[in-house]
Amino acid sequence: MIFLDNAGTTKMFEECVEVHKKYSCEDFFNPSALSVESMNMAKLLNETEKFFLKTLDATQGNVIFTGCATESNNLAIKGSLRSGDWEYVFSEGEHPSVYNVAQKLKLDGAKVHFVPLTSAGVVDLGVLKTVLNEKTRLISIMHVSNETGAINDLVEISKLKDKLAPRAVLHVDGVQGFMKIPFSMRKTSIDLYSFSAHKIHGPKGVAGLYVKNKSALKELFQGGGQQYGVRSGTESVSSIMQFRKCVEILNPAVNHERVSKIKVLFNEIVEKVDGVKVLDFKGSPYIESLIFAGVKGETMLHALNQRGVIVGLGSACSAKKAGNRILEAIGVAQEDIISSVRVSFNAYQTDEEIVEAAKIVAEVYKDIKERVS
Amino acid sequence: MNKVLLLKFGELFLKGKNRREFMKLLMNNIRKKLSSYQFKLVETQGRLILCDYNLDQEDEIVEKIQHIFGLIGVAVAVEFDTTLENIEDEIKKVDFGSAKTFKVEVKRADKTFEMNSMQLEKHLGGVVLDAYPEMKVDLYHPEVVLNVELRVNQKTYIYSNLLSCAGGLPLGSAGKGLLLLSGGIDSPVAGYLMAKRGLKFEAVHFHSYPYTSVQAKEKVVELANQIAEYCDDFKLHVVSFTEIQEQIHKHCDEEYMITIMRRIMMRIAQRLCKENGLGAIITGESLGQVASQTMQSMTVTNDVVKLPVFRPVLAYDKEEIMSVAKKIGTYETSILPYEDCCTVFLPKNPVIKPTVKRAEYNEQALDIEGLIERAMAEIEVIEIKNF
Repeated sequence: MIFLDNAGTTKMFEECVEVHKKYSCEDFFNPSALSVESMNMAKLLNETEKFFLKTLDATQGNVIFTGCATESNNLAIKGSLRSGDWEYVFSEGEHPSVYNVAQKLKLDGAKVHFVPLTSAGVVDLGVLKTVLNEKTRLISIMHVSNETGAINDLVEISKLKDKLAPRAVLHVDGVQGFMKIPFSMRKTSIDLYSFSAHKIHGPKGVAGLYVKNKSALKELFQGGGQQYGVRSGTESVSSIMQFRKCVEILNPAVNHERVSKIKVLFNEIVEKVDGVKVLDFKGSPYIESLIFAGVKGETMLHALNQRGVIVGLGSACSAKKAGNRILEAIGVAQEDIISSVRVSFNAYQTDEEIVEAAKIVAEVYKDIKERVS
Repeated sequence: MNKVLLLKFGELFLKGKNRREFMKLLMNNIRKKLSSYQFKLVETQGRLILCDYNLDQEDEIVEKIQHIFGLIGVAVAVEFDTTLENIEDEIKKVDFGSAKTFKVEVKRADKTFEMNSMQLEKHLGGVVLDAYPEMKVDLYHPEVVLNVELRVNQKTYIYSNLLSCAGGLPLGSAGKGLLLLSGGIDSPVAGYLMAKRGLKFEAVHFHSYPYTSVQAKEKVVELANQIAEYCDDFKLHVVSFTEIQEQIHKHCDEEYMITIMRRIMMRIAQRLCKENGLGAIITGESLGQVASQTMQSMTVTNDVVKLPVFRPVLAYDKEEIMSVAKKIGTYETSILPYEDCCTVFLPKNPVIKPTVKRAEYNEQALDIEGLIERAMAEIEVIEIKNF
């Protein structure tokens, strides 16, 4: 099996298993209890929070650990809502865990702006300028598109916020960027940044939210007041420590270079096939869209699956729905959208398996095209 | 005094000399359906009595009984030896809850009892009124009907809450057919309705992987499991239709694609019937619902089979079919968005009034025998179990 759906999830580092065992079976103590053992857990979490802040290159703020990036995004947005005559700004390209929260907000009567994407797949900054103002309460724009890999210019967006919407908080869904794309918090004016473990070879069930000013963020639920009262509930020390382990193992710069090579290697083979097109948004090398003229993306997905290659169809979360909201927003032709699959790599794949996968993609496409024409 | 379940059956009475056989089948079906429970089942003239069961499991057992074809009602009853004194004692123990009105209905199968039905009804009404002075008799719209049945086994049964069952005829009494099961709303309903008339069945599903998803097949297995609650265990034959669809797509007129597809499905269904000793084909077609379900289309598809084709929802509106699907619990699964094999190679303008002649002409371009042989050779059989 060759797994080319790494934007959907990744295989966990085996090192995590040891960490899981250590913090589940040995150092299993509740960080909020009063024993010395518990206090040591609390210290460890505190130190781990600083570790993550350093990883993000943030000079201030906190990291809140959550159960998943969907929770991080919900906490960021709903925790920033305020009553009164405020406006909320989202991009058209957001993941459902942001986009659907925005839709719900709109339904509930809030003033919500959706900023379109350019044909390059990024937020249209020209339009963004026109909707930002004194009343803007929240801007939520993703770092890297989970569909196309397009990268938004967070520095530029930060400048616009500072200049035009000084009272707004800026939330960034960083799930596809964290540990993959060079990033420094201190160069931006981001207030909230979501990131997840299972996209970077960690376990499912743990994610983070960077919070610049925790007193401005309202909690989603009440409880024992853990994590500054922003996210009550006993911290999953074991999951958090596994998450940390992954960050320690990963080398973003080396991996970025490796994946860029992988992408070139893969595309060189598939692009030679008549009818195959790579949608290149000049963004993250980790994610790309392939168009297979005349064959449905879903058919390709199943046929590749039969041959042992796993690819994604749009966003895995929205794969069951017809069409693709993001590709539509960019202006990709409907027939191309139907024929699209998402391919996403990880840095640990070998040249051999990438070449093998690309050859299978080419073969399968030629075969199916012949069969359906 | 014992707590028992009193089971009423419907049309069995009408079956004259076959009544014994129907009864045996019904009792076997009940025993099988309740095989994971402890209980005793006895027949007394006109009723089945289920007793000696674990009272903690009463609700579960009643629910399962409600899904058994051939029964029309089930009630939790008290059972005791027939004496006037006992009847008086037991009827006084009935819990009326918040109800204010009642009536007593006596059935006296035991003709040796001293009073006739009318006399006993009147007498027991008086007994209840003496015990509960605030209650009133209402013969036309009572809130509670106290049923008192004096059976020939010298036992009396009192119950007040008769629950309806699935009705129909005992499963298996009409023989065995083959259900064409797609992932849609209609075919599970068709299977359910035929099972209600006593027809057991096996099922066949056609899929076109990779043009359809694994989920589409899983959805059909899920639907099969859901109808097994009513239709008992059955075999699901899963046939790969991929090559057949590709060949039709390549060689036949686009507007005849679905017609030819349906004809080949029918041929495969008939082969399966022959191999498995099944006597009819069941489909979920509803007249005029889509192009392939017109009178002319059915004529053309029927033309390739000799077996009878049962289409129990032929005269149902979509809403009527949906309401049965909701009742039997298949609706939610049926509307999941996975494509089944009908929707991949969809022609833009399928023919509404096909003819046998043109269908046959189109089929000349295909190696029908070869295609069917290869499809039959690759059939996957899934055993659907009713738990």
